[in-house]
Amino acid sequence: MSALDTLLDHPALWRGRSAAPATDAPVWPSGHTELDRALGGGWPRGQLIELLGAPFGCGETRLLVPMLAACGRDGYWIAVIAPPATPWLPGWQTLGIPPERVLLIHTEHDRDTLWAGEQCLRDPAFGVLLAWLRGPVETALLRRLRLAASESRACAILYRPPNAAAQPSPAHQRLRWQPAASGLELHCLKGAGHWARSGHPLQVPEPPEA
Amino acid sequence: MGQPARPSRAATHPEPVRQQLSLLPAAALPAPAPRPPETQTATRDARPRQEHWMAIDLPHLALDALARTEPDPGRLQRPLLVVESDPAPRVHAANRAARQAGARPGMALGDALAVLDTPELVEHAPDTLQAQLEMLAGVLLRFSDHVHPEPEAQRILVEVGRSRRLFGGIEALRDQARDTLTELGFHPRIGLARSPAAARLLARLRNPAIAEDPEALRRILSPVPLEALPLAAATREGLRAVGLRQLGDLLRLSRPELARRHGPELLDLLDRLLARRAETLPRFAPPPVLDLSLRLEHEIHATATLAFPLKRLLRQAEAQLRGLNRSLQGMTLELAHREAYTRISLERGQPGIRTDEWLPLWQTRLDRETLPAAVIGLRLQAPRLLDPPARGDSLLAADPASRPPADQLPAVLARLRARLGEQAVARLINRRTPRPEDAQRPRHDLATTPAPTASTPGQRACGTALWLQGPEPAAPPDQPQWLGRLEDGWWDHGQDARRDYACSRDRQGRRLWLYRCLRSGQWYRQGYWG
Repeated sequence: MSALDTLLDHPALWRGRSAAPATDAPVWPSGHTELDRALGGGWPRGQLIELLGAPFGCGETRLLVPMLAACGRDGYWIAVIAPPATPWLPGWQTLGIPPERVLLIHTEHDRDTLWAGEQCLRDPAFGVLLAWLRGPVETALLRRLRLAASESRACAILYRPPNAAAQPSPAHQRLRWQPAASGLELHCLKGAGHWARSGHPLQVPEPPEA
Repeated sequence: MGQPARPSRAATHPEPVRQQLSLLPAAALPAPAPRPPETQTATRDARPRQEHWMAIDLPHLALDALARTEPDPGRLQRPLLVVESDPAPRVHAANRAARQAGARPGMALGDALAVLDTPELVEHAPDTLQAQLEMLAGVLLRFSDHVHPEPEAQRILVEVGRSRRLFGGIEALRDQARDTLTELGFHPRIGLARSPAAARLLARLRNPAIAEDPEALRRILSPVPLEALPLAAATREGLRAVGLRQLGDLLRLSRPELARRHGPELLDLLDRLLARRAETLPRFAPPPVLDLSLRLEHEIHATATLAFPLKRLLRQAEAQLRGLNRSLQGMTLELAHREAYTRISLERGQPGIRTDEWLPLWQTRLDRETLPAAVIGLRLQAPRLLDPPARGDSLLAADPASRPPADQLPAVLARLRARLGEQAVARLINRRTPRPEDAQRPRHDLATTPAPTASTPGQRACGTALWLQGPEPAAPPDQPQWLGRLEDGWWDHGQDARRDYACSRDRQGRRLWLYRCLRSGQWYRQGYWG
């Protein structure tokens, strides 16, 4: 019986009645109750999620700090690919993210970014992948990344400029963020749950210690 | 009860024991088989175990070595001669096309050229062949610890009596040895017998029979013609003159008579053949380094074409390291050009020797390389060899859902570095200086895990920002949220770099990480809050 359960939990298996992610699907906590509910429990592992928005530095990485801390606590690696700035790891460490688990990868082209992301997702040591794309990319490369993500147990986050929303994408979920009065406002452009159907934005306040 | 000493049982009931054993398949025989009385009297010397020798003849060693470096198989279809020039030009080896046309090894070169139509000629290099043979001896060390190469006969002897059970019987062992050598591109002829001399003989005669006891060995050797024995010409003539044709004829004669007529060396040979007299052979000790080179017959201009010879080298390295029972984590490839060398190093996260793991890595790495000139040779070196990693503790494969091992680097790092370059992949190390722009140092050497360092109090005073950029002058913020003050100290070399850190939101919505220099009152941007 347990073997069957394991099989049914496999991320590659899609069951028609489960439009929303199953409640016991592996997730990383997002640290925010409403966001957890909207995402179906937390940041889903084994999915590719696009976060669209600009400019860099509005709190769209701080949004993920609870996930990164949980990932580091569990001993998984965090891949940071082509970030626009250098991570300030003493700050990350104070927030509970072990710096020795953070792997920094510099690339010159978006193609290399996607390739490196795919390679990292194929390695079971990684729990979270953060990658930044600078411009438009081929859909075929994104599809490869999605495939690698769905076969992995990592949560792949792809930061893209806001104009990428016009281009269709094979990502599991697409969220658009924009700075709001207190924190971030998140719109779900694509997703499986009721949040995507409702079309309502979600206000995520700054974490209290900021 | 039930376990009397075997010799005594053999002495009291010799026949039943032997019959019982002969019903068993060869592989099922226990290693210390009971010795029939005959051998006991002949070899009273202390031989506590049953030696079994595997002789591996490599008659085509020169051609095999040539084919390994030759990427163009069509060239080998044409007649080809390996020529030795000392003392007179002579054919050392001829490939199949040349042999079909009538050329034979040992022929004078002039005669061979008369029967062949413009054959390819290759210089015979005995040193290279010896190196190849020693390389193969190193490879064969995985089957036994007693390996003895005989370079002048192009033969390797391996004692397999003690390792046969480990490999599932003597026939399975022979097949494995043959497969190993064939995979490396060699064509062995293997003979197995209780004595090195008999094994040599059977290998030369391509006789696949395996003699488990002296009686069987006698039976197998009896029909062997006397011409096949390594005897002096005079002795051979003498034997022929008295009408002896086969080894069996010789074995039926009385020993004193033979010794008197044909000299003691004939008896010595017979004793060695029938394992009545032990033959001590020195053990081969391989050099404890990995240094393999390959000379290319044709120049290679594109990196993609290098994969073929490189695969050969990696296979060879894998086999050799398996024999040495060592592993490695990094290796260096030296590409020889006409005038210069290109050296490329590759390092992996975990030690390993498998060709199918290393070859894709090298291919990715070589894709980045542009060759300055044509490649004429390859050399593979390993700076240090490691002990092989211990087998995993768990019997079952690791569950992918379980957390990864703490001290192990992800295996993907080697691939990333091979394609993106060594500098592209890094971890950031805390240098424990408070000023954020100097506090971190990228570390590209990923093999060693740094000790986790806690952030210093000075670093904590700067706040828990997420992103760092070099300080840039910035406009004073409207409503700064003060974070803390960084005092001066040993780290600023007397520059009075006291700073008040703050974060604030700019008009675009960005959360900036700022500081005010207390000396000048100027605001700077240190990075982004998140």
